[in-house]
Amino acid sequence: MVLQALAFYVFAAVAVAAGIMVVTARNPVHSVLFLILAFFNAAGLFVLMGAEFLAMILIIVYVGAVAVLFLFVVMMLDIDFVELRQGFVKYLPVGGLIGIVLLVELFVVVGGWVSLPATKSAIAEPVREGVSNTAALGRLLYTKYVYLFQAAGLILFVAMIGAIVLTLRHREGVKRQKIAQQLKRTRAESVQLVKVKPGEGV
Amino acid sequence: MEGGFWTDFAWPAVLLVIKIVAVIVPVVLAMAWLTYAERKIIAAVQLRKGPNVVGWFGLLQPIADGVKLIFKETVIPSGANKVVFIIAPLMTFVLALVGWAVIPFGTWDGGKLVVSDINVGILYLFAISSLGVYGIIMSGWASNSRYAFLGGLRSAAQMVSYEVSIGFVLITVLLCAGSLNLSEIVLAQKERGLATVLGVPALTFLNWYWLPLLPMFVIFFISALAETNRHPFDLPEAEAELVTGYNVEYSAFTFALFFLGEYMNMILMSAMTSILFLGGWLPPLDVSWLNWIPGPIWLALKISFFLFLFILARAAYPRYRYDQLMRLGWKVFLPLTLVAVVVYAGVLLYAGWLPK
Amino acid sequence: MNWVQIQPALPEIVLACAAMALLMLGVFRGERSARLVSWLGVIVLAAVAILVASVTPTSGRLLLFADMFAVSLYGAFVKILVLGASALGLVMAIGYNQREGIARFEFPVLIITATLGMMMMISANDLIALYVGLELQSLSLYVVASFRRDSIKSTEAGLKYFVLGALASGMLLYGASLVYGFAGSTNFAQLASVLTAKDAGNAGVIVGLVFLMVGLAFKISAFPFHMWTPDVYEGAPTPVTAFFSAAPKLAAMGLFVSVLVGPFGKLVGQWQQVLVLISIGSMALGAFAAISQSNIKRLLAYSSIGHVGYALIGLAAGTEAGYRGVLIYMAIYVAMTLGAFAVVLCMRRGGQMVETIPDLAGLSKTRPGMALVLLIMMFSMAGIPPFAGFWGKLYVFMAAIDAKLYTLAILGVLTSVVAAYYYIRIVKIMYFDEPADAFDRMPDRELGLIQAAAAAFTLLFFLFPGPLVRAAEQAVKSLAG
Repeated sequence: MVLQALAFYVFAAVAVAAGIMVVTARNPVHSVLFLILAFFNAAGLFVLMGAEFLAMILIIVYVGAVAVLFLFVVMMLDIDFVELRQGFVKYLPVGGLIGIVLLVELFVVVGGWVSLPATKSAIAEPVREGVSNTAALGRLLYTKYVYLFQAAGLILFVAMIGAIVLTLRHREGVKRQKIAQQLKRTRAESVQLVKVKPGEGV
Repeated sequence: MEGGFWTDFAWPAVLLVIKIVAVIVPVVLAMAWLTYAERKIIAAVQLRKGPNVVGWFGLLQPIADGVKLIFKETVIPSGANKVVFIIAPLMTFVLALVGWAVIPFGTWDGGKLVVSDINVGILYLFAISSLGVYGIIMSGWASNSRYAFLGGLRSAAQMVSYEVSIGFVLITVLLCAGSLNLSEIVLAQKERGLATVLGVPALTFLNWYWLPLLPMFVIFFISALAETNRHPFDLPEAEAELVTGYNVEYSAFTFALFFLGEYMNMILMSAMTSILFLGGWLPPLDVSWLNWIPGPIWLALKISFFLFLFILARAAYPRYRYDQLMRLGWKVFLPLTLVAVVVYAGVLLYAGWLPK
Repeated sequence: MNWVQIQPALPEIVLACAAMALLMLGVFRGERSARLVSWLGVIVLAAVAILVASVTPTSGRLLLFADMFAVSLYGAFVKILVLGASALGLVMAIGYNQREGIARFEFPVLIITATLGMMMMISANDLIALYVGLELQSLSLYVVASFRRDSIKSTEAGLKYFVLGALASGMLLYGASLVYGFAGSTNFAQLASVLTAKDAGNAGVIVGLVFLMVGLAFKISAFPFHMWTPDVYEGAPTPVTAFFSAAPKLAAMGLFVSVLVGPFGKLVGQWQQVLVLISIGSMALGAFAAISQSNIKRLLAYSSIGHVGYALIGLAAGTEAGYRGVLIYMAIYVAMTLGAFAVVLCMRRGGQMVETIPDLAGLSKTRPGMALVLLIMMFSMAGIPPFAGFWGKLYVFMAAIDAKLYTLAILGVLTSVVAAYYYIRIVKIMYFDEPADAFDRMPDRELGLIQAAAAAFTLLFFLFPGPLVRAAEQAVKSLAG
């Protein structure tokens, strides 16, 4: 238990620190790298909670794919920091005001935290012993939440169509490699043996 | 809190360190002589002799190379982003090592020979292999060099593309095995499969997934080549266009770390292929004298076989062009594996072969 | 879960499968298939509308998918209207897209997925299902808003819509998570049983509810979350604007009603005040900001904000008569807005779209039929009897007076007087100004048909109000029970 507590504090502290660095780092590439660090620590926290499947999926999907593309894009951007800061100062009063209002609301809400009396019965029950959380997740996802699961799939479907619609351009006059055609070529139709006599050329 | 500091913390920790060392040292040694084997095999293919000066048959060549790299000066370009520049090779190296934590080497006295027998081992390996791209993309960016940057970008796009089909192949395997644990996957290949269905349980090698999942096996191996940036998909370091790409600014020990990382990744991917498709530590036939040979040796043999294929691919194939690489990944492998997942799942469900 | 159990969700399933099938058809037939796919899309939407009518039980509510999806007459009413509006929007877009060179087969697919999202929103019986449906709809709409991707205005419209829409989704999620945190459930039925009038003082639930309403108010473009509307309406391709002003608004309004009445029904005292403010703001903004507009699309944008304000009066009333008023108002509004946009789509001169109000000058001389249709639409929107718009307003105002919301009703009448100024100004420009050059010939026969149908509906509604009113009444009854 001591080790687990220790691990929790390490993961949590690094995650929070990395999160702060994401916002404050001057270099956007560093921001993304800190974001990745934060993901890692979040995955660590998942493992501590016994949700190893989620932890691995977090790393595979977010760190392995999403953040790579992030990094990809950010590296190619040429961001003018002076300009960014100017905008920052300009919008600080409005943004700050909204932030403070939200913060105050949050304090009011949390300060007056009273869960409704009837709530207890509705709280989800924990996973039973002896069921691995991959299996438990699968069971829940494909039975109770199948509607949402399919709907989420549809959203991704739309996202895919959208990305293609808005970016794909068919360029005219581009020669494309047709591998099937290349493979279909036989020796007979593509090579010709010519006897060349010296001094005459082909 | 029962028990003392020693029994609860110190002794398990020591045991863990011993386990880790027992895995890492052979891997690093294997990696060193893998470079030697590569040079020898390619030399043989090209009718040359290969390294033959240092030691008998040039056997000490890897050590000579290592000593050279260690004693050279590490040069950091003045325009480089120093921290990221240093972290990148370290990351490549460390990631290539941590994957070994979940590789099962066999069974011993009923226990499993594995550093960490986690439930989601296959996902862990997948995650680690997908992280390999960071070392490359970070080094490409931090070098502040166009060649390196292009190499990094190529690598990022390539690895993300092939990861998708690798993921689908993994799904077909775990549909057959019914577990995400690597040891369970190996054991599933021992007990159930084609040989059992045919009524010849002694022919264990027919039980392995290479046969029923043959197309997936081939796709996985090719994707593994792409995932490790090996020939014929070594575009990130294409020396003819990018003067070795992402690691062009690296020298001496930092370069050595990249080199080590790449070769250890090869070994790791070979180990993964062996476990998923060739029954890991299992002997090919269920007969007593083959069973007597310990599991790690069988695993090593299978890994060596795949490494040999890796090297042969390098000797035999010209490099892909970038659009061909993308075409293969997205237009051939992705649809194929997607269909395969549906087909295999359907067949398993329909025939009632789904694991319990 | 077997076939019989999920049968009530058949319309949604058919629509989802149809979207994928049409996409495949388009991919394999190539770019030239846009017209074919569009017409097939129209047929699918119409067929699904019939399907909705046939699977819905005549009374009560059917719950399926672990109580996340509710099928009732209320849902069927809104869904059929939405499907009709989507189908008409699609019909209006076919010819336009071809003329403007943006005809692509993805357009009908995106319209269908958007419609599917709307149907899922309307049927939502769970906060998560609500969010998922909303997101499916919004994502499709972001893409169609910037469908003319080579035009800066269109891409700006899409981007603006996307950024603000994402913000609104964030607000909605924040509210939903607060509600979940305090009430312990996301299911509407459980929320309704947990949240009683005694909990009116629970800050968490109230703040959550307010955030939820903010997100939904954004989707129906009610004041003060309307700022995206004029820009998006102006920038998006005109048939897309027509679609935006009809189907999504209808669906979001239907969702707004079912969310407030269902799980939060007992907190009516809390949300009523917020709604009154939103409603007054929307009506005033719609009336005053539209006066200075010279672009007809922007004018219709402000007008739609105003109409949302009027519809919200019925919701603010918090009575069955009020909800019935909302449904009737929205149905009439959809007919009016589609008719008006069908006219706007005919505003072409020399092969180019024109969209300023002075372009309409003297339309009665050059194109009397079109002028007459627009006149009917404008009079109806202004709420002049005996056109349909007047009856819509009458129903919500009566409901407000019955609920003793006198201020709201009086302000509603006053703002509609102000709004009448700019509606009638258009009529004056068409009928009394010196004629400008004539517009091109009516580009599509379908546009003429839609104009005629919308005009006939608005003109003759007062003779046969029975079917719509009765259907709305039945729908509202199933909402409560």
